[in-house]
Amino acid sequence: MTLVRDLVCALPEEGLREYVLTQRWYGSKSEEVASVRAVDAFPLRPGDEEPLLAVAVVEVRFAAGTHDLYNVPLGLRRGDGGFASVDGWSAFDALEDDELVQGFVELLREQATVEHEGGTVQFCTVGELADGLGSVRAMGSEQSNTSVVLDERLVLKLYRRLEAGVNPELELLRFLTERGFPSIASLEGWAAHLGQPLDATLAILQHYVPVRRDGWTLALEDLAAGGNGFVPLVRRLGEVTGRMHSVLASEPSDPAFCPEEPSAEALALIVARLDEEIEQVFASLPDLPELEPLAGRADQVRDRLREMGSSGPLGRLIRHHGDYHLGQVLWTEDDDWVVLDFEGEPARPLRERRHKRSPLRDVAGMLRSFSYAASASALERGIEPPTGWEGRARSEFLAGYLAEADPTIIPDGSALERRLRLFELEKALYELHYELGHRPDWVRVPVAGILQLLDEEAV
Amino acid sequence: MSEAGHWFESDPLWFKHAVFYEIHVRGFFDGNGDGMGDLRGLTDKLDYLEWLGIDCIWLLPMYPSPLRDGGYDIADFYDIHPDYGTVDDFRSFVDAAHQRQIRVIADLVMNHTSSDHPWFQEARSSPDSPKRDWYVWSDRDDGYEDARVIFVDTEPSNWTWDPVAGQYYWHRFFSHQPDLNYENPEVRDEMLKVLRFWLDLGIDGFRLDAVPYLYEQEGTNCENLPQTHAYLRRVRAEVDENYPDRVLLAEANQWPEDVVEYFGDGDECQMAFQFPIMPRMFMSLRREDATPMYEILERTPPIPENCAWGLFLRNHDELTLEMVTDEERDYMYAEYARDPRMKLNLGIRRRLAPLLDNGRDEIELMHAILFSLPGSPVLYYGDEIGMGDNVFLGDRDGVRTPMHWTGDRNGGFSSADFAQLYLPPLLDPVYGYPSVNVEAQLRTPTSLLRWLHRFVELRKEHPVFGLGSYEACRPSNPRVFAHVRRWEEEVVLCVHNLARSAQAAELDLAQFAGLVPEEMFGQTRFPPIGELPYLLTFGPRGFYWFRLVQEESAA
Repeated sequence: MTLVRDLVCALPEEGLREYVLTQRWYGSKSEEVASVRAVDAFPLRPGDEEPLLAVAVVEVRFAAGTHDLYNVPLGLRRGDGGFASVDGWSAFDALEDDELVQGFVELLREQATVEHEGGTVQFCTVGELADGLGSVRAMGSEQSNTSVVLDERLVLKLYRRLEAGVNPELELLRFLTERGFPSIASLEGWAAHLGQPLDATLAILQHYVPVRRDGWTLALEDLAAGGNGFVPLVRRLGEVTGRMHSVLASEPSDPAFCPEEPSAEALALIVARLDEEIEQVFASLPDLPELEPLAGRADQVRDRLREMGSSGPLGRLIRHHGDYHLGQVLWTEDDDWVVLDFEGEPARPLRERRHKRSPLRDVAGMLRSFSYAASASALERGIEPPTGWEGRARSEFLAGYLAEADPTIIPDGSALERRLRLFELEKALYELHYELGHRPDWVRVPVAGILQLLDEEAV
Repeated sequence: MSEAGHWFESDPLWFKHAVFYEIHVRGFFDGNGDGMGDLRGLTDKLDYLEWLGIDCIWLLPMYPSPLRDGGYDIADFYDIHPDYGTVDDFRSFVDAAHQRQIRVIADLVMNHTSSDHPWFQEARSSPDSPKRDWYVWSDRDDGYEDARVIFVDTEPSNWTWDPVAGQYYWHRFFSHQPDLNYENPEVRDEMLKVLRFWLDLGIDGFRLDAVPYLYEQEGTNCENLPQTHAYLRRVRAEVDENYPDRVLLAEANQWPEDVVEYFGDGDECQMAFQFPIMPRMFMSLRREDATPMYEILERTPPIPENCAWGLFLRNHDELTLEMVTDEERDYMYAEYARDPRMKLNLGIRRRLAPLLDNGRDEIELMHAILFSLPGSPVLYYGDEIGMGDNVFLGDRDGVRTPMHWTGDRNGGFSSADFAQLYLPPLLDPVYGYPSVNVEAQLRTPTSLLRWLHRFVELRKEHPVFGLGSYEACRPSNPRVFAHVRRWEEEVVLCVHNLARSAQAAELDLAQFAGLVPEEMFGQTRFPPIGELPYLLTFGPRGFYWFRLVQEESAA
């Protein structure tokens, strides 16, 4: 049993470093890396039959001495060809290798419990797993995770960043699946590690939903085609969102999900956090022409923040999607919406992503996404959105949402508007921060969003 | 799924890079409107604590107690004080804290019990009682005469006559706190059972109160005896064996060379408070002279790799002046306790802000020094907003008044009638809750609270402060306290001006020639270090923390 662990932990730094730091899912590209090494490995199969299968826990250590852990399932075969070699064995990424993916699926099918010195890897399924999941294809286009489609029926999604605790996506999908909420890709199984060096969700298995378009593509195509097709679908999206929140707020007996009243300082804490974010973002704005309109306006943004965060209720706090935008919803072949990716914003720590917060964060996220689509169309494709497109999408979405959302979880009247603006500003700042780090060409979009929030009338 | 380790990556040294926050449950937040803080109220405030950025809560004793010594007089080691809630409330609180990645340690008094404890009641009832030998009895009151009296203001002797028992009993603290007899193996086993009970509930460790006094031996001062250390090693072995990633923090108010004994060879307590540095920080500030701090740090022996100092400015007790010379104590009294009401035992019963005359620069400077020193800082509830104290309340109650959450009735601490509150919240014009409260300071970007929050965040981004080595870097200007911390690839230079006037200092940084100091708050780059002395100028009570970075990698 320890052969594979010893081999994995002995993988030379060079190969591992080269491999991990160049992956799409590697999330700290701007930080100075001091070392990369496998600090632990969980064997997934007994014996030393080739290929050996294990989950490597790879630690990326930064110059300041902090570190991140990554989940790298791998297979070891004798001979060459992998991304790193040790003692005549070569390491292959298990998700890029059909034979190794099949090994994973078998473990799920068996609902295996694989023990090792420091803990246990548990594979669980919701029901019986179908036979003949032979074909495997990569999902592609992901940022922080890796997914493969099995036989066009199931999706195996592997979480790359390892953080202690249950992944919020597993919690939310399980909760929604158990309650029969239809507008998701239902949970079919998961793999988790319990023990040293941490308890963590490694992967989930979901129903695969054949897709017509994701919301983002749909919106941009519609904008290019005159802008009449999308808005009618948005009301339905609002309804789905409202129902999702109602279901998530429906379990007073489950401490992980029961809606909570905000503490006295809840609103002030949100404002304080954002205020510091504004200060930081503005203090480190690079010299880009796109940022010109924001120059010197930090204090104005902070004043506006104070208006948005002033008196009035916050509404109740519930578990919610956490990273809600058009890219996370699919228009399916059944002509309805399906919501994906319940992990929350990947840049935030797991404990924050598990927080109960106002569901209006999701609403604001989607409203920002309409604005994003309109700006992207104009700025990136040169297609001006039809007059009032964003406003119509906005009001349709809100109308659908308010019709279906449990009224006890949201504030009403002017407080609703103020809170929405607050969370829209939060989102726009997150976008600005994200684009500056990842896609400087897109910086204009959140800049436009912030300017819009600055210049509109106070509510 | 609710195991203690479930929300943390395993890290046996977590306490070395943690910021601690000390809470008096009674004073924090009243969740049920009865005028006293409780565990449910505390659970409600976890979001605030998570925002503040602290890593570990240290709870003052929360056990059933007649409260004649703030709960350090425990009447049942296996329960929660009914004012605070139930064991289930405690479990929920620990779980909720863990989910926010906040650990929880609790005070545990191993040395003595309350005289109300059933063990003592049974012990005194008859010389034949099976509990008789759980305490220390004598027919005479002159044993162990070399042991000092600690609470000199109230206790004439360490022996008190018990008319029920017909004997004297031994106590190092108040006479209502009889010492347990650690010569008795039943006592030693029972105390381990107590530890296991709370560890099984998910707690992350203990602050072991009054550990130097567990054993007595004729002809000694009855402090720091080898038997006491042997027992602590047994406790540690038990914890290591069954409860990974837990911490034992020793309260041993002793000189550094004696305190380090409590680390053993890394096999006793992982943490101990660095008591002697604390009064010297206040002394250095008042004298505008870093010498007392340098001297005590020089005098502090190295400690095992797997251990850490606990550092603090103020806590729930008086600012203790046991670990200073008589002359230094007179100086401290003269400077910091002008009103005799402010003195208690050998110490000063005041909070941080009033001690520093509410000077914002001074409060920031003292936190900067605290956070820069090797060890883990321990903040005391309320000091993050600059709460005051009330010297007219008895004993140490003046520094244990209700937390100020808002400017509303009772400072937002409780919905009970004012008269029902366990202690009156402060209402004076400078420190009262209408002006000093969490809500107002959260809203004010320049407030002490917001500043401290950023400062905690900064420290946590740089494990060097918890894990790194310490090298004094004494400039010729004695008003400037400077030192270098190093860990892995990080080198940090911390320089602090103790004077209330602007200062300049030349630092010998030749060993870092070629590196560039980058100020850590604003990431401003200073001129590169050369072979000549490096000149820095400071505003009054000003300080800088610099990362020393390669020229090309400076951000």
